[in-house]
Amino acid sequence: MTEDPLWSNIFKRQKTEKEDIFTVMRKVPIFSSLDSKELRAVEHILHHRTYEQDEVIFKQGEPGLGMYIIESGSVRIALGEKQKLLALLSRGDFFGEMALLLEAPRTAGAVAAAPTKLLGFFQPDLFDLMSARPETGNKVLIRLSQMIAERLKQTSIENQHLRTKLNELEDKSAHRKKIS
Amino acid sequence: MNYSPAKIIKFVLLVCLLALFFWLASILQSTVTILIISFLIAYILDPLASYFERKWLNRMGATVVVFLFIAVIIGAIFSFLLPPVLREIQVINNNLGTESSMESFQKIELTIRSYLPFISPESLNIREWISRILDTTFSSIISIIGSVVSIVTTMVIIPFAVFFLLKDGRKMKKAFVSLIPNRYFEMVLNIMHKTDEQLGGYLRGQFFDAAIVGILATIAMWILGVPYYSLIGIFAGLSNMIPYVGPLVGGAAGVSVVFFTNGDSQLILLVIGAFVIIQLLDNVLIQPLVVARSVNLHPLLIIFVVIIGGQFFGILGMLLAVPATGVLKVLLLEFYNGFRKYKLL
Repeated sequence: MTEDPLWSNIFKRQKTEKEDIFTVMRKVPIFSSLDSKELRAVEHILHHRTYEQDEVIFKQGEPGLGMYIIESGSVRIALGEKQKLLALLSRGDFFGEMALLLEAPRTAGAVAAAPTKLLGFFQPDLFDLMSARPETGNKVLIRLSQMIAERLKQTSIENQHLRTKLNELEDKSAHRKKIS
Repeated sequence: MNYSPAKIIKFVLLVCLLALFFWLASILQSTVTILIISFLIAYILDPLASYFERKWLNRMGATVVVFLFIAVIIGAIFSFLLPPVLREIQVINNNLGTESSMESFQKIELTIRSYLPFISPESLNIREWISRILDTTFSSIISIIGSVVSIVTTMVIIPFAVFFLLKDGRKMKKAFVSLIPNRYFEMVLNIMHKTDEQLGGYLRGQFFDAAIVGILATIAMWILGVPYYSLIGIFAGLSNMIPYVGPLVGGAAGVSVVFFTNGDSQLILLVIGAFVIIQLLDNVLIQPLVVARSVNLHPLLIIFVVIIGGQFFGILGMLLAVPATGVLKVLLLEFYNGFRKYKLL
């Protein structure tokens, strides 16, 4: 039997799109410990959003509800009224993950730097996942906690370095004062 | 606040859309009623389906198990509860016209007039008053179950709608959210989540609390040998949804039935005792376990909404006024908070 080019193309395209999404999802640390079946279950609850270039994804100070994963395109993360560029993110990158645990105002704004497709994963989705598939939900939650703990550790080390430097500077300035 | 022409146009458009929505809803009243009932049933049953899903089934399997479970309960209600309820309503209606009941009503009226002589005989027609209450209750029950489209259509459409709402509810929610513009979709998702958190606990709590109190009252009245025990039980369960006065009304219904049927003072005391025990159990044990959330309505508001509910929809309106106001309060508050947080107000 010969293959119908129209139908085979449609199905092939859908399959490729799904494979693309799974490839992107595997790159995200909070989904890294999920197997294919669990990944499919999570993919079902993700929100697919499409943004034009320069379209606002969220503004600084707005309540945060969850994270976004870049499926295609790029996103500018900017701070303050002058929109100081903090990072330019691209395919496979993610942002806003802190809001999954803590419903606090967004610390920076996000704008699509090019036509962009995003996958949204929000706190209510995480709660739904934990209620419907506790094992999968726990895996995601543990990875999220590990990621945030790692970041906290990093921040503590940086904080310690800064303190040491500050102490050294204070000592130096005290020493200079003594000499003068 | 700065009101630009674009903002005003948007506001006018929104008001027009809302007006169109309510106009359509009023035209399609019966369909909307079916949808609301189906949605409420699916919403109450959702945690049960999620429980089975969590244990060992997929969503389809979980929905089928929930349906089988509910079918057994409804079957039991139809075979055990509905025939005595209908029989009891019939008996009350028949008894109201008999000579002995006329005599007892006249006796009661004379007693009341001897204590309160300023009440005119025309305004104190207890028989007509009770008959009217029965008529409105019966007709409102019938209007809810029956006249929506027709009993058969409703009985087919509601389970059908509940099945798909339960099975595909999450997909439908996701599809709805995907229609919201990028700028507002996170806000809408947040409002939906917060409303669900508040309402889920409240509605399910009210439903199970009313069901348990109703069952307890039915059993207690049956043990005490009170006639129309199933009707009293249903009424006690439903009236329990009205805070403060509800439990009193439920108890009063039991006491009045005993008073009008045989007037045994010992049985009246036993009925009062049974309702006091049920209320104690409800306050100490059932409510803390079942009612996860309360929507904190002010007593004054409760009195007014019960009166308004009664004016528009009779006794059933009075019974459902408090939960309906609770739902409305949560929706308005969450929308208001959401709009403020996202600086849209």
